[in-house]
Amino acid sequence: MNLKTAAKVTAVAGASLLFLAACGSKNSSSSSSKATANMTMSAELPTMDLSKSTDVVSSDMLNNTNEGLYRIGKNGSITPGIAKATKISNGGKTYTFTLRKNAKWSNGDKVTAKDFVYGWQRTVNPKTASQYAYLYSGIKNADQIVNGKKPVSSLGIKADGDYKLVVTLDKPIAYFKKLMGFVNFYPQNESVAKKYGSKYGTTSTAMVYNGPYKMTGWTGTNLSWTLKKNNDYWDKKAVKMDSIKYQVVKDQSTGLNLFNSNKADDTTLSSQQVKNYKTNKNYLVRKTASTFYVELNRKDSDSTIAKAFKNKKIRQALSYAINRNEYVKNTLGDGSTVAKGYVSQDLAKNPKTGKDFTDDAYVASGVTYNQAKAKQLWKEGMKEIGETKLNIKLLSDDTDGAKKSTEYIQGAWEKLPGLTVTNQNVPFKTRLQRSQNGNFDTVISAWNADFTDPISFLSLFTSDNSYNNGRYNSAEYDSLIKKAEGTDANNASARWTDMVNAEKQLMNDQGVIPIYQKAEAHLTRTNLKGIIWNTAGTNYNLKYMSVK
Amino acid sequence: MRKYLLKRIFYLFLTLFIVATATFFLMKLMPGTPLQNEAKLTPSEKAAILAQYGLDKPVWLQYFIYIGGIFKGSLGLSFQFSDQAVSYLIGSRMGPSMQLGGQALVVGIIFGIILGAIGAIRKDTWADRLATILSILGIAVPSFVLAILLQYYLGLKTGWFPVAGWSGFAYTLLPTLALAASPLAETARFIRTDMVDVLSSDYIELAKAKGLSKFGIVYHHALRNSLIPMVTLIGPLAAALMTGSMVVENIFSVPGIGEQFVKSILVNDYPTIMGVTIFYSALLCLLLLLTDIVYGIIDPRIRLSGNGD
Repeated sequence: MNLKTAAKVTAVAGASLLFLAACGSKNSSSSSSKATANMTMSAELPTMDLSKSTDVVSSDMLNNTNEGLYRIGKNGSITPGIAKATKISNGGKTYTFTLRKNAKWSNGDKVTAKDFVYGWQRTVNPKTASQYAYLYSGIKNADQIVNGKKPVSSLGIKADGDYKLVVTLDKPIAYFKKLMGFVNFYPQNESVAKKYGSKYGTTSTAMVYNGPYKMTGWTGTNLSWTLKKNNDYWDKKAVKMDSIKYQVVKDQSTGLNLFNSNKADDTTLSSQQVKNYKTNKNYLVRKTASTFYVELNRKDSDSTIAKAFKNKKIRQALSYAINRNEYVKNTLGDGSTVAKGYVSQDLAKNPKTGKDFTDDAYVASGVTYNQAKAKQLWKEGMKEIGETKLNIKLLSDDTDGAKKSTEYIQGAWEKLPGLTVTNQNVPFKTRLQRSQNGNFDTVISAWNADFTDPISFLSLFTSDNSYNNGRYNSAEYDSLIKKAEGTDANNASARWTDMVNAEKQLMNDQGVIPIYQKAEAHLTRTNLKGIIWNTAGTNYNLKYMSVK
Repeated sequence: MRKYLLKRIFYLFLTLFIVATATFFLMKLMPGTPLQNEAKLTPSEKAAILAQYGLDKPVWLQYFIYIGGIFKGSLGLSFQFSDQAVSYLIGSRMGPSMQLGGQALVVGIIFGIILGAIGAIRKDTWADRLATILSILGIAVPSFVLAILLQYYLGLKTGWFPVAGWSGFAYTLLPTLALAASPLAETARFIRTDMVDVLSSDYIELAKAKGLSKFGIVYHHALRNSLIPMVTLIGPLAAALMTGSMVVENIFSVPGIGEQFVKSILVNDYPTIMGVTIFYSALLCLLLLLTDIVYGIIDPRIRLSGNGD
């Protein structure tokens, strides 16, 4: 800033602010040869406690400052973490991990098997009140411990010396290694956790790190912090960034202004902004493993509606009637894409061919728009059940986005002869409660996968699952899922086929009506390389990130 | 005076107690939970988590625990930030809001007085009209519009000021300006009206007749007398500014309390809602009390209580 500009400031801000403005200019010109980047986050960081993380911000931060047995790499692949070797025995029910001896915490302590035992026991301990403890289900005694019926020491994890860890499962879990890349399964340093007590993980200093980066500058409530290269990390040679700065920006136009003034290298875009920046070279869409779909209540208290929804032609008509392309483009416009099925795209790849799950399991009729066909099937279906008119309600959240969605679907459905749709937009909690109690005709639901395996979606629609709100009921589907989780659990390709067939079954039955897959539109500077993004679990893995 | 003060302080605590009680029961009518992942938790897991936060106890017991906690200086734990005490949350978020509010108040009042005085002295000239237009604009243009314009033109286009963030004094300037517009306009209008009255009063005529300089008249006689009623304005203005502006804080990514308060309402984080409400009430009561005391000191005609004790 020179005198001239300072003079202009005077005119705007008044003489009293002149001196102060000049002070501020020092910060703006910090050029150094160190590799740094400025990222934005749309929400605060609520915790750095590995047991308590439930949101995307904390799981992203914990994943890059800590490390578990494995680290999830590109396309959900399993890459080395603290475990050097793994032996699976007892029909897939016992895992023996050999840990690397050069892994250290940022306070100099060694990372040992005991840290895993402590971390896991802490997470399932009802006193910790972890909201992700249910992911431990399937590990010996986990469910009983979470429910306070067994002591935490009975959890199926034992340390055999400092560098050997033995985990016992109730039944084989095919995706167990993937779970190990989820932050709630990372080791925790007992002496640090005990030292800080209830303050553990509430600031960047009341925490210890064993991952590629360590965090500084987070007071627990402020809106900016920095990830700095962790020189105690066992694979520090692979880490190229010196620091990654984070700033919470809740207003997307602020994010865009920061990006355009080179103060941020990554920002998310609103649907309005997407329109203007679609062709920008920095424009990037990041898909998430989150599918929005309509459920039809087969156990509706109104017997006419229940009868209608049991009719396949009527279910298909309701699906054919929705023009998903138009909806995603004009109503959402935020980078979200048309659902290719119930399981989301870019979640998992065929272990043999490398093809995406949604390609293998694609059923065009389940997600296509065809109004003529919709009307024809509707007429046939209504004739079969002997009705001419149908009044149904469409339940959803009361957010602006959800209201737009219900309006769109209402408009699409009411083109079917004799169908009237009433929208019910209620608060999230009410929607959830009414969905689970079966107190709805149709509801727009969403599901986010916890880990990069199709089962995270598919297990939902077995006939006895409590989240199967529409009570989809197919013996064929149930047995396929049972096989995938039981007899085929140790056979990757047979299991894959089971899951593909289950998805096909669900789509052929039109058990649910998938609408769209959620995505985030970003502007990410093209000189940022090596950022690994996964659609489920922890999104960002920045271990190999670099600036070119 | 002491008796009056004691009475006022007693009322202050009574008010706060009523506010705490009312907020607690109102919050119980729209209960929020610390459950972050409600869609995926089983009923027994939910129960375990609620018990951890003491939400399994009957409401009356929760109430006594809560009120008891306040006396011990504890406002409970936040639902959004795990293990974070509400009092810590308020404490650390208050700083930036207070700083911005204080700066905006100073800027607003100083420039408001200047603008108002110019308007009154140059009554019915172009300067007066310009001052009036500016103050109407200051009141009519919402702070978020101003914030967006300031950020775009002075932050992004010219690069004179940081666009957003909170790491140094320079970062406070744009939000201060955005916040100062409305108190500036209000002060200007207030001072102008008041000074027009004062300037036409007898003692000003006398001063003029005695041949005092124009500056002397305005500074020593007109302005001083116009400032006394300003004190009543400053109390509420200070309270409004220092409790933080959600929009301005959001736009400039300021880690302030205003933004946090609104968010806690949206996510039903009621320990935070209650904590902040009580804190705001205390701040407002205190500022009003201060206003009354200061008013009595600077203007002896006003007695704090009618009995003259």
